Amino acid sequence: MATGARERLDARDRVEARRRGLSEPPLQLRDDSEDEMIVSFPEFVFKEFIAMVAMTVFLLVVSIWLQAPLLGKANPAMTPNPSKAPWYFLGLQELLARFPPLMAGVAFPTFVIVLMILVPYLDRNPSRRPSERKLAIFLFALYAVITVGLVLVGTFFRGHEFNFDWGWVLGNES
Amino acid sequence: MKMIGAAIDEIYSVLAQMVSSLFRHGLPLTDKIAARTALTNFVLHIHPVRVRRSWIRMSYTLCLGGLSFFLFIVLTVTGLYLMFYYVPATSHAYQDMRDLQFVVTFGGVIRNMHRWAAHAMVITVWLHMARVFLTGAYKKPREFNWAIGTFLLLITLLLSFSGYLLPWDQLSIWAVTVGTNMAKYAPIAGPYTRYLMLGGRAVGDATLLRFYVAHVVGLPLIGFLLMVVHFWRVRKDGFSGGL
Repeated sequence: MATGARERLDARDRVEARRRGLSEPPLQLRDDSEDEMIVSFPEFVFKEFIAMVAMTVFLLVVSIWLQAPLLGKANPAMTPNPSKAPWYFLGLQELLARFPPLMAGVAFPTFVIVLMILVPYLDRNPSRRPSERKLAIFLFALYAVITVGLVLVGTFFRGHEFNFDWGWVLGNES
Repeated sequence: MKMIGAAIDEIYSVLAQMVSSLFRHGLPLTDKIAARTALTNFVLHIHPVRVRRSWIRMSYTLCLGGLSFFLFIVLTVTGLYLMFYYVPATSHAYQDMRDLQFVVTFGGVIRNMHRWAAHAMVITVWLHMARVFLTGAYKKPREFNWAIGTFLLLITLLLSFSGYLLPWDQLSIWAVTVGTNMAKYAPIAGPYTRYLMLGGRAVGDATLLRFYVAHVVGLPLIGFLLMVVHFWRVRKDGFSGGL
């Protein structure tokens, strides 16, 4: 069972120790006495159970207090303005408002999906320590900020005709 | 008198046999039986018998993968309840939603739970991917499981999107009109893809049925199969925790 990563880590520590002329690893990464093997049942299963109960309670409370939206019956003759996609696609809609459709609606999403799948093969850095993965973490932060930012802009700052509308922040909603 | 006593003993032993046959292990009263429970219990056999404490540290996993799966189960159960009251035809759908909200017992709460759990699942799946990325857990030997995870994210988005149309209100059809309009920009295949999705040139009866079938059968089935492989690979490739 998943001892591969652990062995690799220990082996690297030994190499590092030898390089520095030490007989022991310079840094005790793990304390085996703390990191013991435990039985999944009941300890692990109990944790999962608590998480499930917490999520169920959260969902129930939210569902009792917050009504899911249900507008008027669908009317193909009346287009609401603005019409917006579901929130997780608003980043895409935001791109469509700025770039040619072929690029924003097709090329860009395809590129992102393919890039995501290829991430483990493009990231040649074997280390998993955050301090040795600065570039990967920076790129991910950039991706996260752009994605979340576009969704937020699309959700809150786009009004009539999908034009910019700062009313939600400035308080002069039209 | 003696015969009655023997009969009671016999009935008791049969009942005890019935109860003990429910589980392949006894009550987990001793450590040994508890340890074997994860191996011999169908629901729990997804777990290894023993884990290292660091693999399951909550500050590492944040429970996000497990919660995503749990939300999928919540969505399946609440979704089945909604299916009893919902007819995927433009003449019925909207009124069925009103009835769910105001007439059906617990209909409103169940629909709300379905809706909010769907939003929550998009968020937990995305955060799960973020966690896996930031801890570098996708690195060898877990490269392929990351790819399966990417497809699971897409399935989650498509499930949510296909469900968006079903209430058949103004929000539904226009969100889906905007969403499917994006497909039409693909070179050559675009307009055909949109026609295939909508079953026509505009969102209508055929679209509702197509989205319904995709939402309740097609996508959950694909998602479930991908999840099975995803979890199996987690076990076979090894937990990534314990850095």
